Amino acid sequence: MTAYTVYMEQLGPLLAEWSRRMGVFVPVQIQEALYDFVPWSEHEEIAWDYDVAYNSIKRHFFPPRENLIRFDAAACTATPVFEAPDQLLFGVHPYDLKAVNQLDQIMEGGAPDQNYMRRREKTVIFALQPQRVAATAFWGSMGSGHVDIGFDLFWTKISPNAFYVEVGSPRGEELLLACGDLPEATLAEREAARRERTRILAEARGQGLKYPWEETPRLLARNWDSKLWRHKARRCLSCGSCVLVCPTCYCFEVREEMDVDMKGGTRFREWDGCMLPSFALVAGDHNFRGQALERYRHRYFRKGKYIYDKIGELGCVGCGRCVRACTAGIANPMAVYNELWEAEQHES
Amino acid sequence: MSPRQANFSPYVPRPATLVRKERLSDMVSLFAFEPDDGRSLAHKPGQFIMLSMYGVGEAPFSISSPPRRQSVEFEIAVRNIGTVTNALHELEVGQKVGVRGPHGTFFPVQVFMGKDTLFVAGGLGYIPLRSLLHYQLRHRDEFGRIIVLVGTRNPQERIFTDQIAELAARSDVEVYETVDVPDAGWKGNVGVITTLLPQIRSLQPDNTYVAMVGPPVMYKFVIADCQKMGIPAGNIYVSLERKMKCGLGKCGHCQINGVSACIDGPVFKYTEIQTLKEAV
Repeated sequence: MTAYTVYMEQLGPLLAEWSRRMGVFVPVQIQEALYDFVPWSEHEEIAWDYDVAYNSIKRHFFPPRENLIRFDAAACTATPVFEAPDQLLFGVHPYDLKAVNQLDQIMEGGAPDQNYMRRREKTVIFALQPQRVAATAFWGSMGSGHVDIGFDLFWTKISPNAFYVEVGSPRGEELLLACGDLPEATLAEREAARRERTRILAEARGQGLKYPWEETPRLLARNWDSKLWRHKARRCLSCGSCVLVCPTCYCFEVREEMDVDMKGGTRFREWDGCMLPSFALVAGDHNFRGQALERYRHRYFRKGKYIYDKIGELGCVGCGRCVRACTAGIANPMAVYNELWEAEQHES
Repeated sequence: MSPRQANFSPYVPRPATLVRKERLSDMVSLFAFEPDDGRSLAHKPGQFIMLSMYGVGEAPFSISSPPRRQSVEFEIAVRNIGTVTNALHELEVGQKVGVRGPHGTFFPVQVFMGKDTLFVAGGLGYIPLRSLLHYQLRHRDEFGRIIVLVGTRNPQERIFTDQIAELAARSDVEVYETVDVPDAGWKGNVGVITTLLPQIRSLQPDNTYVAMVGPPVMYKFVIADCQKMGIPAGNIYVSLERKMKCGLGKCGHCQINGVSACIDGPVFKYTEIQTLKEAV
């Protein structure tokens, strides 16, 4: 794999050039110990050592609200709406990239979701090796510390002013060399990147599951009737915060709005969540998951079993966003799975 | 719109015109549509469409008519109970709706051929089963016995009463009907639908396939009784209703544990779902 060395002072002109071509988003500190992706400008200071972004990057390909069709209500005709701006996400951590790869697989499978795919095709992703592990994160134990695909470039900071940059696609390489040739990385720089990766992975593995992640689907299959669900769900506010910040949640509602002239209108989708009470409610007031317990359990089964049964990896990447977002303090997948695991150890 | 077109989106409905409207009960009416592009839905019994009442919303409805070669017309029957169905009931012949689909799995008619079929229709469950039933009646020689159980809450809510009376008059169809709560004029069977099962004469369990649609509460009781009668679990087909928004297996609303009712269902062989906790 081709790799280049990029020095900090070369970045300014590159960022300026990229932002002439497309919207560039970078992680910055937005308040004390809180980071998020924002549009890049030369005044923004990129937080190279951010631990986790408050929002997941799914909103860039799967916006909170997205128009699907425009319709003429009288003629009953409709045309598709596709909005897909060129964009570059610079600084995406591997666990988030794993979530994007998973969304790609799900959205492209079966009946391909054209709205998602068009946005995705227009999105360049520069991954970034994390330098710190968030206190609530457990990606090291979820098999999310490393990704092989999905990035156009992969950046690893190997010294205070240098990056080791691996090429993941021709598009990525072209953008990297947009301001002129760069030196190919030396073996020593490659080794420095490897050491940095090993260091952070070792640190990340320190907090996480107490058993191999691959066991999660089987663990859950044995624990449908566990007391844990009732115990935790009792405190659930059914607010849906956990699903909104989750990088792999993609459930949506479809609604529509008429224009002010009442002739035409727009049908759009909006993020929805299985933790919200109305999620499985049908006309006639029948609710297929009417209890908080059922909704709470569904979420952890979906993350730990249903997605796995579909695509062979867990639906939780261990970013820990839900842990922070949950005001009731019950939305920690790692804690849920570990508690189930430990309860079994005591039984046997 | 076809997937081969550059501007294809699976969310775009095609227009269809209401050609016939028929009241079936106080709350339920039948609606017959023809797609404006003249192309048939080409559906199979048990599949559903997503129907758009523009400005109000989109909702799933089972197709009630059997597949037809000679006409593009298709029928749905709908209870007036929510926002989309309210708007639909206001619709007049000649007015239009949007239609996506057909979506979902279907009753495997080839599997049923040469076998006896036991239809178990609870309430509005008769609507989707009617597609399979009428298909079988059209190809009557290719199927064995046709046994139809119809259960309704009360006599006023019975639907397709004329058609069911016609069926009951035929010598090659066995019809058993019941209501949960009778009125003064009701002379038939009273009780839940499972009370009809023992009335079926000399059922051959191994040679019988079951097609079952009804309210959520019905399934586990009927399935248990069918199995007690010796009908193999693999011969039992159910269609399950869930909330659906996309019809494409993406939006998550119709999930029954790990399966999506809209693409993995709505028609399931019982053995496919018997281990799913949320199914029946």
